[in-house]
Amino acid sequence: MKIIKIGLASCGLAAGAGKIKQIIEKKIDDDINADFEIRETGCIGMCYNEPLVEVLQNDKSWIYGNVDEEKAKAIIEHHTKKDTPIKEWVVKARDIQTDDNTYFEKQLKIASRNCGIIDPADIEDYINSGGYESLKKTLKMDSESIIKEIIKSGIRGRGGGGFPTGIKWESAVKAAKKKDEKPIIVCNADEGDPGAFMDRNLMESDPHSIIEGMIIGAYAIGSNEGYIYIRKEYPLALERVENTVEQARKNGFLGKNILNSEFDFDISIHRGAGAFVCGESTALMTSMMGRAGEPRAKYIHNVESGFKNKPTVLNNVETFANIPVILEKGAKWFAGIGSGNVTENPWGGSSGTKVFSLVGNLKRTGLIEVPMGITLREIIFDIGGGIPNGRKFKAVQTGGPSGGCLPESHLDLTVDFDTLSKAGSMMGSGGMIVMDDKTCMVDVAKYFISFLKDESCGKCTPCREGLIALDEILTRITRGKGKEDDIELMKNICETMKIASLCELGKSAPNPVLSTIEYFHNEYEAHIKDKKCSAGVCKPLITYSVNDNCTGCTICAGNCPVDSISGKVKEKHFIDTNKCIKCNVCYEVCKFDAITVK
Amino acid sequence: MIDIKIDGKKISVKEETTIMDAAKELNIDIPSLCHRPTVEAYGACRLCVVDVNDGRKIRMVTSCNYPIRKSIEVNTQSERVRKTRGMLLEMMLSRWPNVDVIKEYAKEYRITKPRFIHPLVDYSSNACILCGLCVNACSEIMWEDIIGFAGRGESRRVVMPFEKHYDACVGCSTCANICPTGAIKMIDDPNQPVDPKRIIKYGSKIADEMVLLDEEQCDMRSVGTAHLAQIMNDYDLFPTCNYKFGSHKDAGRLHSDVFKQKYITQGLPDGCWLGCSMSCAKAVEGYELKTGPYKDDKVLIDGPEYETIAGCGANMGIFNPEFVLETNFYCDTYGIDTISFGTGMAFAMECYENGILNKERTGGMELNFGNEEVGLKVLHQMGRGEGFGVIIGQGIRRMKQIFAEKFDLTKEQIQFMQDIGMEAKGLEYSEYVTKESLAMQGGYGLALKGAQHDEAWLIFMDMVNNQIPTFEDKAEALHYFPMFRTWFGLMGLCKLPWNDVEPADNAETDEPAKVPGHVEGYVNFFSAMTGKEIDKHELILQSERVYNFQRVFNYRLGFGTRKHDRIPYRSAGPVTIEEYESRAERYDKQLVEKWSYDIKGKTSVEKRDYLRKMREADYHKLCDAVYKRRGWDNNGVPTIQKMKELKMDLPSVAEVLKKT
Repeated sequence: MKIIKIGLASCGLAAGAGKIKQIIEKKIDDDINADFEIRETGCIGMCYNEPLVEVLQNDKSWIYGNVDEEKAKAIIEHHTKKDTPIKEWVVKARDIQTDDNTYFEKQLKIASRNCGIIDPADIEDYINSGGYESLKKTLKMDSESIIKEIIKSGIRGRGGGGFPTGIKWESAVKAAKKKDEKPIIVCNADEGDPGAFMDRNLMESDPHSIIEGMIIGAYAIGSNEGYIYIRKEYPLALERVENTVEQARKNGFLGKNILNSEFDFDISIHRGAGAFVCGESTALMTSMMGRAGEPRAKYIHNVESGFKNKPTVLNNVETFANIPVILEKGAKWFAGIGSGNVTENPWGGSSGTKVFSLVGNLKRTGLIEVPMGITLREIIFDIGGGIPNGRKFKAVQTGGPSGGCLPESHLDLTVDFDTLSKAGSMMGSGGMIVMDDKTCMVDVAKYFISFLKDESCGKCTPCREGLIALDEILTRITRGKGKEDDIELMKNICETMKIASLCELGKSAPNPVLSTIEYFHNEYEAHIKDKKCSAGVCKPLITYSVNDNCTGCTICAGNCPVDSISGKVKEKHFIDTNKCIKCNVCYEVCKFDAITVK
Repeated sequence: MIDIKIDGKKISVKEETTIMDAAKELNIDIPSLCHRPTVEAYGACRLCVVDVNDGRKIRMVTSCNYPIRKSIEVNTQSERVRKTRGMLLEMMLSRWPNVDVIKEYAKEYRITKPRFIHPLVDYSSNACILCGLCVNACSEIMWEDIIGFAGRGESRRVVMPFEKHYDACVGCSTCANICPTGAIKMIDDPNQPVDPKRIIKYGSKIADEMVLLDEEQCDMRSVGTAHLAQIMNDYDLFPTCNYKFGSHKDAGRLHSDVFKQKYITQGLPDGCWLGCSMSCAKAVEGYELKTGPYKDDKVLIDGPEYETIAGCGANMGIFNPEFVLETNFYCDTYGIDTISFGTGMAFAMECYENGILNKERTGGMELNFGNEEVGLKVLHQMGRGEGFGVIIGQGIRRMKQIFAEKFDLTKEQIQFMQDIGMEAKGLEYSEYVTKESLAMQGGYGLALKGAQHDEAWLIFMDMVNNQIPTFEDKAEALHYFPMFRTWFGLMGLCKLPWNDVEPADNAETDEPAKVPGHVEGYVNFFSAMTGKEIDKHELILQSERVYNFQRVFNYRLGFGTRKHDRIPYRSAGPVTIEEYESRAERYDKQLVEKWSYDIKGKTSVEKRDYLRKMREADYHKLCDAVYKRRGWDNNGVPTIQKMKELKMDLPSVAEVLKKT
């Protein structure tokens, strides 16, 4: 029997994996000799190669990438007859050297260990790969030693805050004791950063590891009540997690007297209605209580008084997914991975790995998991394969919309909580957007500020009004109406937002502006003083012209929607800037790089 | 206590005090647009930011909600703080350039012209500045959520649900009164007051007191009148076993804490008057009934009030909160008054324990004090109109008649029933032990409608604080308070906000019992509402007219004379030896000190009888004094002269009074 696995996480489905599955099913049905068992799996991380189809045969496996209808049929036909792969289509295999092998070389998978390998909808598959063993082990331990182990591992919150998980658990236990209340444990699955999909993938591809981590956490802090807050825009993740909780209940991992340990714990799922701010812990809990998701001051921490005013531990999806492995392999092992030294103090470094969604102007984009302490350069060039189309690297933004944009000079920075925030960016939950030299950094800042302006809950003055003001100022700069002291004014606004905003959204929102002002000051100056956008993005500041590369092929003139291009065949063409609407069509259709944008 | 420093000044504060509150004590003013003492700190405007040095680092925090937990140094005017506030004000001024509160602060921080043009600039001087006070006031003060924020970021706005007019808004005006810019206005007040501003002035004063002082004084916003149970028990006023005693070792089981922690879970106002500033809250949700036609149903119970706890609890010798709740529900459902039921049952129980009733006479029920099962059985019988419940359901006055007629009772037994049957004018006593307060005995006995405390509640003035020692003092109180309280009936107002929650400085006024601060409020409400200026004397006069007319009315129907003002002796003193001996020290002392009675060698029976003679005589003297003060004749009938003074000598009144 041969096994054929199809990656059916959202990334695969978006690339057409659903259709490929149907084709494969039909092909196998039609061919009497095709003896395949079809299995579903999640995402292995090579989103740039989706749809992915893996064939397992005689203890060997080959993953085919970019599988279309023709390829799918051919793969079935081929493997029905032969037990060797179609080499040129293979993107990952142990026995074949492919261009994509380097994509995995520097990765280390802990949280995403099962992603793209097991069938996420089947608890048996998870159990067979060692799942719930860690839970069985911890149920025999006492609360204190579990928490000690987690502290020793040095793991810090993967949601972006980077607060040591074990210390959070320990404080909740203390607060619960003091208040004589049972603590509550909540999983934050309200991932809302544009271009980030780490948690979605974990929920879609290996949901049991999250549930197992949560149960262990609940047992450690003595909680009987758990919640997962998932944004509604993740329908597949939601369905998977619902299904997972149901399976875990049926198998005795949730409910009363879990595995005869006299420990009771169950999980309810709360659907978020799609507000970015609800990823903020207090807003999330307010939303769970049925009110509009607005943050409150955290002078009194959630571990003291959170959901329903009870001591509440909130951890991110990825944090929970790490927990079973830490307890299985030991704190020492985990602490040994990463940067800094966490043996004495979890604040001493960043241990373990971090999942990133690597996107933007890169050859290879997808979901990666790397050890902390890796450099940005390694991620972008070794894993991501560098910048395509012969362009140059310009900036990388880490940490979601309120992260900072770091320039080439910072590529050798190590990726960990403390280094990134020192450089004016942040780890965030793991978004990483790479930009090439066709990117205008003022425009990038404007894009993120505009996103944050729409997503600010509007409760506190600095965040609400500060973002409106920054948006207004950035808009006038990109339109060539910037004023001499706009940079200074924006710095003032940002400073106030950073120190006076109510929650982290407002406090970190200035990062895109401050980091671009710091690292790309010239671009701001050029926009304001010279009224120029060197990347050619800000329309009011650019003009289109035809250069000497023009062969007179006429294709640009034919495609111009406003007939602003004139010229004879085989002669250099001319753009009438009075008519030109800067739609960029000529630039895109020109095959000779003959359009200059300045 | 924690020692802190604010702007170099030292102060010692309780843990969890906010910096804003601590600063207020030092007369340090911190700017804020979104904070008022009556709502929970919201932390939205951020103007109240200050620098806090906790010894490790300096952080900027909002002073309105930062709880002091360790020794800190606060700087409310650092350069950074002033710069931040200035930037915040520049942001606000760019959006709302003409709002006074913002303009004033901006001037203080030298912000004149914002450096950017706000895309949503609103030139109105009454613009909504999104401070959230209205939303939080509606939610926290009124316990409603009629208005709330909609939209995020720049589209944030205050709306009613679905941005439509919402009928549940009763126009209480709390939001309008708290709004700092006038963005919310009352435009169609159905009451059409002559002077709305004056109403708001005095109304806001009471509303603020309710929010700020109730929790400490009464906690009626969490438990209603149930808070009284503990106080009454502490002062030996909590009627126990048909008013025999005023406290009980098990009374703690009926304290409001028990109800609050275990039963009163809804946390919403009763809604007897929507928009009320006091908003008593005491609904018990999801209570599973154990008896009766709705057995096993989960129901919502509006209660229990103090009277129900005492009447359907201690007075029947029962100290089970669930019994109170069950009877509360069924009394409400059957339409039976919980006071009459409780006091009536207590009477029947004492009759049973003294042989006036027995199993045969009750249809097989053992009506001992403390018998919960029988208590509920009788209630269901009443509801269905069956069995012995029909007799108890007719009330104490009828029970006394029926028992005397139907059963073979001795003269002593019939007298005993008169002594312990706690009714006056046919109405069952409400739930206070009056034995040690002569004025309060008058409060019950002289009330026009019967034995109810709503005309006067004088126990503390009389017994505890000894503020009205003479007959004349007591008569004055029994003139003023019944008149003042009648005024609430005339106006259709609830009395609870008058003297349950009192102004913080009430004790320092010349007549704290009258709550002068609130009397002033009522005088102003009347004047502002009607446009007719009155003073506090005119207020009493308004009631006197009605009160005397009612007394004449009673007289015309054959009631309303001295003999109708009599009270059962149980309300004036110990009827049984058991009762006397349970408080022997107190009674002995009074016999010696007040009446110079030589108690040496006297038996309890002799002492009890002498005490009774004296106390009954005192009650008659009290009636004399009260009649005189009220302008009535010696038989308790208003004189025609008095009616003339009140301009109430209507022909029909004069006709009735001719017969005196």
